[in-house]
Amino acid sequence: MRNPRTGWLLLSPTLIILLIFGFAPFIYVLVVGFHQWNVFAAEDGLLFNGLDNFRRLVFDEDFLHSVGLTVRFAVFAIGSQVVLGFLLAQLLTRDFPGKALFRIIHTLPLMVAPIAVGAIWRLLVIPGFGPVPFFLDRWFDLQYQIGSYPDQALWTSIIMDIWHWTPFVTLTMLAGLSSIPREPVEQAKVDGASRFQVFWYVTLPFLRPVLLTTVFIRIMDAIRTVDEVWMLAGGGPGTRFTGIYIWRVVFPRTDYGYGSSISIITLYLTIVLCWLLFIAISGRRKGDIE
Amino acid sequence: MTLSLRQRLGRYFATYGVWIVMTIVTLLPIWWMFVVSMRTRVELFGRPNLALSRLFTENYINVLTDSAFQRYMTNSLIISTSNALLVMALALLATYALSRYKLAGSDNIFFWLITNRMAPPAAFLLPLFIMFTRSFRIGTWTLYDTHIGLILLYCVFNLPFAIWLLKGVMDGIPIELDDAAGIDGAGLFGVLRHVILPLAAPGLAITGILSWVFAWNEYLFAANLTSVHARTITTGLAEFVTVTGTNWGELAAMSMITLIPSAIIVILAQRYIVMGLTFGAIKE
Amino acid sequence: MKRIFVLVLLVAFALLANMSLVTADMHDWWADAAAPYAGTTIRGVSESTPPSNYVADVLAAQFTELTGINVEFETTSWDQMYSKAINDMEANTGIYDFVYIEQDIIYSYLAQDYLVNLTQFAADHMDLAYAEYDESAFTSFADYFKNADGDLFGVPMEAFVKVYLYRQDLFGDMDIQAAFAEQYGYDLAPAESFEQYRDIAEFFTAYGESMDMDLWGTTVQGSTGHPASTYEFLESIGPSFGLYNWGINLETGSAQSAHGGALDGDTAVEALSYWVGMLPFAPPEATSSTWDEVASSFAAGRAAQGWVYGENAAWIATDESRSAVTGNVGVRLPVTAPGVIEAAEMGEGYIGYYDGGAFGIPHSSRNKEATMLWLQFIGQPSVQAEWAAAGARITHTATFDDPLIAEQDAKVDGYYTLLEEQGPLFAGAPPFPFHAQVREIIDPFIHRVILGELTPADGLSQAAVAVDEELARLGYGM
Repeated sequence: MRNPRTGWLLLSPTLIILLIFGFAPFIYVLVVGFHQWNVFAAEDGLLFNGLDNFRRLVFDEDFLHSVGLTVRFAVFAIGSQVVLGFLLAQLLTRDFPGKALFRIIHTLPLMVAPIAVGAIWRLLVIPGFGPVPFFLDRWFDLQYQIGSYPDQALWTSIIMDIWHWTPFVTLTMLAGLSSIPREPVEQAKVDGASRFQVFWYVTLPFLRPVLLTTVFIRIMDAIRTVDEVWMLAGGGPGTRFTGIYIWRVVFPRTDYGYGSSISIITLYLTIVLCWLLFIAISGRRKGDIE
Repeated sequence: MTLSLRQRLGRYFATYGVWIVMTIVTLLPIWWMFVVSMRTRVELFGRPNLALSRLFTENYINVLTDSAFQRYMTNSLIISTSNALLVMALALLATYALSRYKLAGSDNIFFWLITNRMAPPAAFLLPLFIMFTRSFRIGTWTLYDTHIGLILLYCVFNLPFAIWLLKGVMDGIPIELDDAAGIDGAGLFGVLRHVILPLAAPGLAITGILSWVFAWNEYLFAANLTSVHARTITTGLAEFVTVTGTNWGELAAMSMITLIPSAIIVILAQRYIVMGLTFGAIKE
Repeated sequence: MKRIFVLVLLVAFALLANMSLVTADMHDWWADAAAPYAGTTIRGVSESTPPSNYVADVLAAQFTELTGINVEFETTSWDQMYSKAINDMEANTGIYDFVYIEQDIIYSYLAQDYLVNLTQFAADHMDLAYAEYDESAFTSFADYFKNADGDLFGVPMEAFVKVYLYRQDLFGDMDIQAAFAEQYGYDLAPAESFEQYRDIAEFFTAYGESMDMDLWGTTVQGSTGHPASTYEFLESIGPSFGLYNWGINLETGSAQSAHGGALDGDTAVEALSYWVGMLPFAPPEATSSTWDEVASSFAAGRAAQGWVYGENAAWIATDESRSAVTGNVGVRLPVTAPGVIEAAEMGEGYIGYYDGGAFGIPHSSRNKEATMLWLQFIGQPSVQAEWAAAGARITHTATFDDPLIAEQDAKVDGYYTLLEEQGPLFAGAPPFPFHAQVREIIDPFIHRVILGELTPADGLSQAAVAVDEELARLGYGM
């Protein structure tokens, strides 16, 4: 029989790298999270302060606000990406001349570095040289200034994220769709199911693992988003997402203690959220086996 | 099912309509980046003009002839490619282990592996900095500002994703095939090479591509953990934003140039991308 | 004719011979002094600005040729420059042998004892002292890199003041002058009071609209996603109204008027109200503008007047590849409230921030001697003028008299003369050991005032409370 030791041996390089570069820094952050530590404080060094940082965090309006913004950002961006990605993937399952070209073009945004994405979108939306505010003003008489209207900044970053990441969702959806066996779909059609019924009772259940996994990955990345939004709007009102808030606390404020505790809580919330999704996915897998 | 000519035409129209709109939406920002890269600083201001007025290549020439840029580009290529290869190899071994061996707590291990990608990056910069400069020190050599440092670090973000993706692929490969090869006298690496590798190839390819792209595009860690020797292309991008004016033209030119390698890879690997991205949805 | 030619030739020869002698001398000294360190590599970090790029591209190469010491120069973005230097010095890793010290962060670095005392170091290493390098040759800007004993901790490499720029072509236009005089009852001229500044801003905004031009009355560095807006308020607008030291009283450790602070005081509220009141007269990008976008807006001809950092004045006025208003840029001292100039002259205040930076040596450096040579090299008089021409920065009093600068000065409407004569009216940042920390606290409030979510009075009083909390947390408070 297969010796588990061989298994561990195969797994060990991965585990070692992740323990060193993933887990060890995490432990460091965890420890610092229970201390008061700002390198520019009058008194140097780490001072253990128990749960004070976490107590402070619960009443920190800026932090709570950033969580609210992040949730809105993630929900709207990922929701749109899933719907749009699914529809586009549906279209791509058909054969038509030029399909390969469309697919390549559609994949391009995925390849642009986040920091460059932020820069391009800034160039698009800053009044003075950006075409977007110019034409919105000229054609629709709309005032569009992401610096003056936080809501516009939020929506711009959501749209930017949709632009950047929908291709990823399209690709995973396409992969999922192309692996659905044909027979159940044909059978359902023969049985007189409407298009919607086919989708709801046949396509969707088959697609669920891919769908949930995609959402899972997008959630992880959306919560961590920093580079793009940083370049676009600098994390002002409307775009001060948790990732950026942590960055500001940790870096210009050098409040390492507090920044660490926020990171831990954010990581914890992300894990809980993903754990729920994970259970949903593996629950489905169990269903398959039975 | 037969469709009348009109229905078929209508379908074509709808399909193309959607794709033309999507193409415009997708390409507009990239086109604008291209237009900006073809302009002088003075031309950028004033009433925005989406048309390309002339071929002004100075921004490209400035960027391409800059020795620092060439170094950044080489560094990025080395780091991304090595990282992608490393991630592919490690993920193949790891998922094979998770899929074929009964390991105590393997579900938890799997989930823990994935959580590594969730960490908000900012707070982890300091411990990583200390680790890179202090913990890994041999004489005057440190992990800081080295290729290998970033190559290993990016594993933390790419491995979880890769393992997740490949786990499904691996589970989809019937275990009987391993056993058959084993009976024929193939050892562990023989099985991996002659049975698993060919069947997992599409999944492995997409793993490699996505890892490569992530490493190519990463900014925050590269900016903080490198100095002169191992700086990557994305950190070079940020240099254009300065107190005395952002050099948008060169920034755009550099962005266009950095886009090219990834675009080529995607074009070459179109087929594998869809075949590989099934996250275990493949059920024979 | 022929005789004159021969004479010229002779003089030229004489000069050349003389020069080569001097260079040979110099060469010898540098080579001798650097002999023990030849072959070492020193590394530094700075922002990628024209003055820094000149150091990296030109001065570093010259220095290496003279001494055999290699200089590795990491140029990076503004945020990165701080974080990388601080990480290095705090963790004591010794990555950098010299770091760029923005003037405003120096007191934080001094409080943490990050930097080598250059005066002391030079005294301890007489063998390294280059005769031409003289600490007293610097402008008053160098005073803001000294500790209480007057010892220098950074060799100034760039210095600027934020000036009042206006468009000479618009201000000089007869029709515009007539229209302005008719509307406001006095002649159009560069503003000398805040009322005039406001009138001019209002006038040109309306003028731009009526002529369908992309022209507004003033710049505002009002980015709501960047500390630049807080800086414009605290360092330029505030002082010109008489709000000093960010309204923070170091002795009581408070920003609230009730405890000796002034951040929520009447002057502060007046200044902030005035500044935010300029937003309707500013181009629409103002709320996304940091320092560089303000300069770009002005260079694009989108503002008739504005507060613009001096490092940009030169290129806006002269560089046709970047600016659409070359030759039309007027430079004046920023507008101030009555009494502020007098107070500054008496040393009881200042009219704005004397901006810039210096190179210092962190204690963690392992090549201090070689780096000291390097800092003297960039701090010596002979390299200053060309460097100034390339980067619009002046740190030596003697540089003002250089013909190269005199020529530039005429093109930028006397910016360098202004810097020379009125520079001492400006001051470095307040001596806070908590500069970035407190700025980050004030930032969101300023942003919300710009957005109109808070009134200036509410914003400032909330900011003052928040500042006091942070000061207490840091151990500097009440």
